[in-house]
Amino acid sequence: MRNFKRTALLLTLPASLVAICLYAAPILQVLALSVTEPKPGLANYQNLFANAAVGRVVVTTLKVSIMTTVLTVVASYIVAFAIIHMSAGLRRVSLFLVLVPFWISVLVRAFSWITILRRRGVLNGALMETGVISSPLDLVYNLLGVTIGMVHYMMPFAILLLYANLSDIDRRIMQAARSLGARPATIFWRVWLPLSLPGLALATLFVFVFSLGFLVTPALLGAGKTLMIAEYISVQISSTSRWDLATSLSTMLLLVVGIIVFAAMRSPALRAAFVARPQQ
Amino acid sequence: MRPRPIIEVGLPRILAWCLLGFLFVPILVVIPVALTDRDYLSLPQDGISLQHFAALADWSKGWLPSMLTSAGIALACAAIATALGVAFAVGAWAAGGWWPSLMRILLLSPMIVPPIIYAVGMVKLWARLSLLDSYTGVVLVHVVLALPLTVLAIGASLSNLDQRLVQAARSLGARPMTVFGKVILPNILPGVAAGALLAFVASWDEITVTLFITGRAVVTLPRRIWTSIQDAVDPALAAIATVLLVITVLALIARSLIERRQRQRL
Repeated sequence: MRNFKRTALLLTLPASLVAICLYAAPILQVLALSVTEPKPGLANYQNLFANAAVGRVVVTTLKVSIMTTVLTVVASYIVAFAIIHMSAGLRRVSLFLVLVPFWISVLVRAFSWITILRRRGVLNGALMETGVISSPLDLVYNLLGVTIGMVHYMMPFAILLLYANLSDIDRRIMQAARSLGARPATIFWRVWLPLSLPGLALATLFVFVFSLGFLVTPALLGAGKTLMIAEYISVQISSTSRWDLATSLSTMLLLVVGIIVFAAMRSPALRAAFVARPQQ
Repeated sequence: MRPRPIIEVGLPRILAWCLLGFLFVPILVVIPVALTDRDYLSLPQDGISLQHFAALADWSKGWLPSMLTSAGIALACAAIATALGVAFAVGAWAAGGWWPSLMRILLLSPMIVPPIIYAVGMVKLWARLSLLDSYTGVVLVHVVLALPLTVLAIGASLSNLDQRLVQAARSLGARPMTVFGKVILPNILPGVAAGALLAFVASWDEITVTLFITGRAVVTLPRRIWTSIQDAVDPALAAIATVLLVITVLALIARSLIERRQRQRL
């Protein structure tokens, strides 16, 4: 009997070793370097808070992340809500339209947006040809372009999450509300919305946390002009070798993400959403 | 009489279709750009041309070597991550207790912790172990990033498995490894296959950490695309994007066909 359990525990060892040596250790080293490089102490953090450039980057990151989160969650809820009310055929079409962007490389998506939004891009070209505008608009390599790209990246993910959550809601509750004389708007605000709150909270949490530390889309669609934390960290290690800045900023980012996730897990609604198995 | 669902009231439904269009249509722009007859990023001017797809097959242009590099790394990553993931998920399922739960949290954390933080840590570690810009270094990092997916996929399969099957095998005298190999494994094969596929895709697409731990020697496809996007001139970029788009669409269609056939068989 004991032999069985020992073998089972042995099986967990290889992956655990990989996770400890190749994941936990390097991240702990980032934390350690932030208080030892170049010399022991909290000087790096003092510099971090006094650094005006870092301040601007943090403000940009918060601005983009909050805008992205609000737009993504609202838009995704509208789509997910529509999908669960569709006929089986239309639902298959809609899910296909969500799954293609969900699975396709983030780089392909960023590239599509650059092609569409740049000064000599598809959209500006079309608008100029039809005479709507006389000189090209700045649609990318700024806050607008980054936000469009981020919302486009996050939406399929949020839609699938909300769709799974909304599908689990018992429709008989709506029938009950209707048979008791509630009007459609009342059913939405008083029944659907409260029941969707766990899913909405989970989507908000994930989108916000992903946005805070996102590198690819902001870097490609911001092109150094709209600088967010991840790209700022990347510049510190690849061009200027400022390990003090990179590691202390990484530590702060990890701390913020950790606090958000920890706080979220304390809410029973979110815990329930996590325990409930996400579809697929 | 069935009352009309409120979504039929119109505006929300129209809005939903517009948003679905916003998700899908912009990606299609890569197709006309890939067919341009010019040698810079543009829509076709005086007709279409397949020259940029031909460039993808030209070894010296670098796209083909990058595709092979990525495919090789993704295969190695999928094999290792699946083996580690199966062993872990099955062991944790059979043993239970605090150690597997703790390790599960650690193994899943790459899904939440921003990859940029991991990238900073791995640059330091690989520099010390001289594994920067090496195939081994990239495969190991991709394994760590793919493990959450394999563990989740296999864990989902295991949660449908009846514990009494294991008890029956053990009471009949099967040795532990026999139970794992001959009783549990055959029952979770769909989960294992799903995990392997997810690990392959995760590695094939990985860019954030790869960007920091590779240089001239190991150029994965995403890395090659990244550089090309920053230059923003070569239409071959649109051609590779089109190829990736077609592969994604075909894979999704194949999946829905397989699912439909399975449903019919039931």
